[in-house]
Amino acid sequence: MREFLKTGLVLMIITTIAGLGLALVYNLVKEPIEKAELAAKIDAIRFVLTDSVTGNLLVPETEIPEDGKALAKYEWTPMPSEEGIMYSSTTWKGKVQSPAYIFETKDGKKVYVLTGQAVGYGGNVVSVAAFLTTPQGLKLNAIKVMEYSQETPGLGANIARDDIQKRFYPIASEGLEKGLKVNKDAGIIVPSNELQRARDTEGVVQTSDVMTGATITPRAVVNSINTMYEFLKKAGVK
Amino acid sequence: MAAGNVKTFTNGFIAQNPTFVQVLGMCPTLATTTSAANGLGMGLATTSVLVMSNVVVSLVRKFIPDKVRIPAYIVIIASFVTIVDLLMHGFTYELWKTLGLFIPLIVVNCIILGRAESFASKNGVRASFLDGLGMGLGFTGSLVLLGSVREFLGNGSIFGLHLSNMKMFAMILPPGAYIALGVLAGMFNFIGIKKAKAAKAKAAK
Repeated sequence: MREFLKTGLVLMIITTIAGLGLALVYNLVKEPIEKAELAAKIDAIRFVLTDSVTGNLLVPETEIPEDGKALAKYEWTPMPSEEGIMYSSTTWKGKVQSPAYIFETKDGKKVYVLTGQAVGYGGNVVSVAAFLTTPQGLKLNAIKVMEYSQETPGLGANIARDDIQKRFYPIASEGLEKGLKVNKDAGIIVPSNELQRARDTEGVVQTSDVMTGATITPRAVVNSINTMYEFLKKAGVK
Repeated sequence: MAAGNVKTFTNGFIAQNPTFVQVLGMCPTLATTTSAANGLGMGLATTSVLVMSNVVVSLVRKFIPDKVRIPAYIVIIASFVTIVDLLMHGFTYELWKTLGLFIPLIVVNCIILGRAESFASKNGVRASFLDGLGMGLGFTGSLVLLGSVREFLGNGSIFGLHLSNMKMFAMILPPGAYIALGVLAGMFNFIGIKKAKAAKAKAAK
């Protein structure tokens, strides 16, 4: 009997000390963690709000949020969200995360900043994208791939490279409307001087030359863009 | 440092190398060594947990009843892993993002429980600290070696540094992990056996 009590007591003391220690560390790092997450998010938003052709900011410099409070003002939730997911596409097998953000350009056009995900080789590939309203319809301005940690290094994880991400934007509404495809799925190889035209008119994203052997990861990225576009259409954005 | 301490410290490097000789902790070894940098990050995170848990287990070894020693060690190890995870999330956000999924895996890395059970629970704090550090560095070394071999063969680079145009993708994918590990373990054993034979021949003379 005494031994039982002693054993239980010792375990209790150990777990209590461990629990207290963890609580202490958690409280200490809570703020730095939030700051790091927010900084990464704001960096991505700033990037996609930069005109991918001219390199100028689409929105006034003062409109770029500096902290969580300022960012919350731009939140836009046209659909109810469940566990952080606002919309799931059955066609593209992608999801749109909540919240989305809405900004206004210098000349009064609306820019939608969305976070989309689709399944890649080893898990979700998450991208932030900015869609710009133009008289010709919605245009994809830029994307930034945020999470790809489960993709294979040297293959799918090359999606981290900026020169590869540039293959995915900008895209005019005609291409978006057709549904984006990677060139391997479209069955063609786009010559290097036609990259922009193939995106704009046929919705074909050429990746097989820069990401040889990796089709699943870029496919996940185009599917997340397709999902975000579908979401905007369903939300009544023109 | 006394001679015994030096031996404790260097044991994990080659003679008792956790990966190639003790064949412990295979799960993170196979999963994280797709590149040299990933191997290094995982190795260092494991080393820090191993050192801390070895020291604490050694400190409390006299108070823990024999019957509950395994749950007690696991609680200690899991706490340190969570602490490392939280600290990395807050202060080394980029590294945490690449290694994020593997950090919680350190809890079930049998090297850590193995060293707690077979070394720290029987030895003093100083020796346990040195054992943890030595084994951790040995583990880190083998992860970096394995990661470098795979990254070089699969992507033609080491630590992201472009060296050749070799692109044997299979080496980065799971099969490559088994092939590279098998060949390296065979090499370590070959050297070990040769050394033992030479020592025997010397003793016979």
